[in-house]
Amino acid sequence: MNPRPWWAKLGHRSLVLLATVYCLFPIYFMLVQSLKTPQEDVFGNPFIVVNPTLANFEELFERKSEVRGFVGAALRRSYPFLDWLANTFVVFAGSVVATLGVSVAAAYALGRLRPPGFRWWRRAIFATYVIPQTILFIPLFQVVNALGLDDNLLALLLIYPSMALPFCVWMLSAYFQHLPREIEEAALIEGASRATAFFRIILPMSRPVLVAAGIFALGTVASDFMIASVFLLTQGNQTITAGIGTFDVALDELAAVAGVNLMAIPVVSISAFFARGYVRGLTAAMVEGA
Amino acid sequence: MVRVTKRRTQRQRDIRTAYLLLSPAVLLLLTVLAYPLGWEIWTSFTSLSPLQEGGTAFVGSENYRRQFGDPQFWRATAVTVVYAVVTSVAKLALGLGFALLLARPFRGRALVFLAIFLPWAYPSGVSVIGWYWTLNPPTTTAYAPFMGHLKYGVDSAFGGGAWAFVSVTLFNIWRGSSFIGVLLLAGINAIPPELFEYALLESKSRWQRFRLVTVPLLKPFLALAVFLSLTSAFADLANVWMLTAGRIVFPVIGTHAYWLAIKAGQYGPASALSLMLVPFLLVVLLVLFRLFESPSPDAA
Repeated sequence: MNPRPWWAKLGHRSLVLLATVYCLFPIYFMLVQSLKTPQEDVFGNPFIVVNPTLANFEELFERKSEVRGFVGAALRRSYPFLDWLANTFVVFAGSVVATLGVSVAAAYALGRLRPPGFRWWRRAIFATYVIPQTILFIPLFQVVNALGLDDNLLALLLIYPSMALPFCVWMLSAYFQHLPREIEEAALIEGASRATAFFRIILPMSRPVLVAAGIFALGTVASDFMIASVFLLTQGNQTITAGIGTFDVALDELAAVAGVNLMAIPVVSISAFFARGYVRGLTAAMVEGA
Repeated sequence: MVRVTKRRTQRQRDIRTAYLLLSPAVLLLLTVLAYPLGWEIWTSFTSLSPLQEGGTAFVGSENYRRQFGDPQFWRATAVTVVYAVVTSVAKLALGLGFALLLARPFRGRALVFLAIFLPWAYPSGVSVIGWYWTLNPPTTTAYAPFMGHLKYGVDSAFGGGAWAFVSVTLFNIWRGSSFIGVLLLAGINAIPPELFEYALLESKSRWQRFRLVTVPLLKPFLALAVFLSLTSAFADLANVWMLTAGRIVFPVIGTHAYWLAIKAGQYGPASALSLMLVPFLLVVLLVLFRLFESPSPDAA
């Protein structure tokens, strides 16, 4: 290919810059906010932080937050942030693992064993996305109550996997379906059971797709706000999302933004770590096959 | 003969195993979705309300018919359609742009890719809170006057609540374009490079290559992106609710239904309203299935 002219390079670079700024600015802005002192928040330049402080983060972990500013003791509030952190971890990790386990089983059945009408099974599972979540939580509350899970993390562990499941089943079963039959056949002829062939051969092969499914599940779970705030009522049982939703943010703005970051940083780090695998997995699922 | 029977029993065993392996997924969906959906469908034909005294009456299609005479419904529908179309077009355009930008290697591509991936990876359950306070800052913060000007400028030009609606749209686009960009990048990566080289020889312009090679090969990914984008827009309740703090001037169907159910206690009409989207989305999905369903090597 002939070298591109300077203006094309310049155009490409400025587009890249524009895209990067567009994507990162809101994240940067929230990060900067969370590092500010109240003084700087009021009088400083909104876009930068001159004297960064971790006080807002510390405040989250203090059981009794210090009384600050003019509003007085009436606003003394404390947040069980450590509990929230632990709850969030349990819910997120549990939901991702559950989603993966259930999806892999279903996807193997649909993509590999192919029961009659497997195509329609798969379509039906995917079609659950058309059901609007709008007021579904009202009857869902009855289900959760009937199971005795109200105000319990298990309620989220039950509901969250169902949200990422359809896409994960879709992706994984498309991948399994693409794998040539011969891959298992050799093992089956040797006398290995289907289960052995699956765990020894197919599962290790599907690592990128599993990563993609896992990251998708994590992204879905982390994007929920409704379910968490509807089903977790007691402070000690809440996840970070549900907890921050109860902040009186007009007064606790900086602490809230700090909380946002504190939840986002681990999730974003995990996703970023697997980002390349995520793309590779999506590609593999949709086209490549083997 | 023996072989054939053996094969058949093997197949039967496989089918049994398949159903066994499917059962957790099906059970999960039945618990979490089937009962609530059934409840919603049943409720949409009744006058169920937590506020009313006495029994619940079966009202037939009344709840559905009433919607059509309700100006609020038409308003919500119009806003929903505009919202879905605007956000979907913007997300697709931006996402396609991102994917094409990243398609060819350049220095720092890995970092730019990460930047484009982040808006989706950033947990929106909390980023929506951050966005809210960025766009509607407490009056004490330094940038509040600027944001205030922006808000009143937009509101006075387009009516009260317009700024809130703009912020919802911006948030949806910001997050969705990231997801679609990464999805389409995965699609572009799947296109064999030889095909591009061949196209380079055969075609006259970049535009032609894009139209004749990239778009057709991206079709399954584009279809998937369109569907997920539409459902996220139609079902968008939490984000609209959060970003407008419940003061909804521009209702989408989701928020209107939520408002009917929670604030007005009209479970029946609310159920009917949210179900009215389902047939439409199903039709869209059935069309798109043909596009993004991968053809199987050995058609069953």
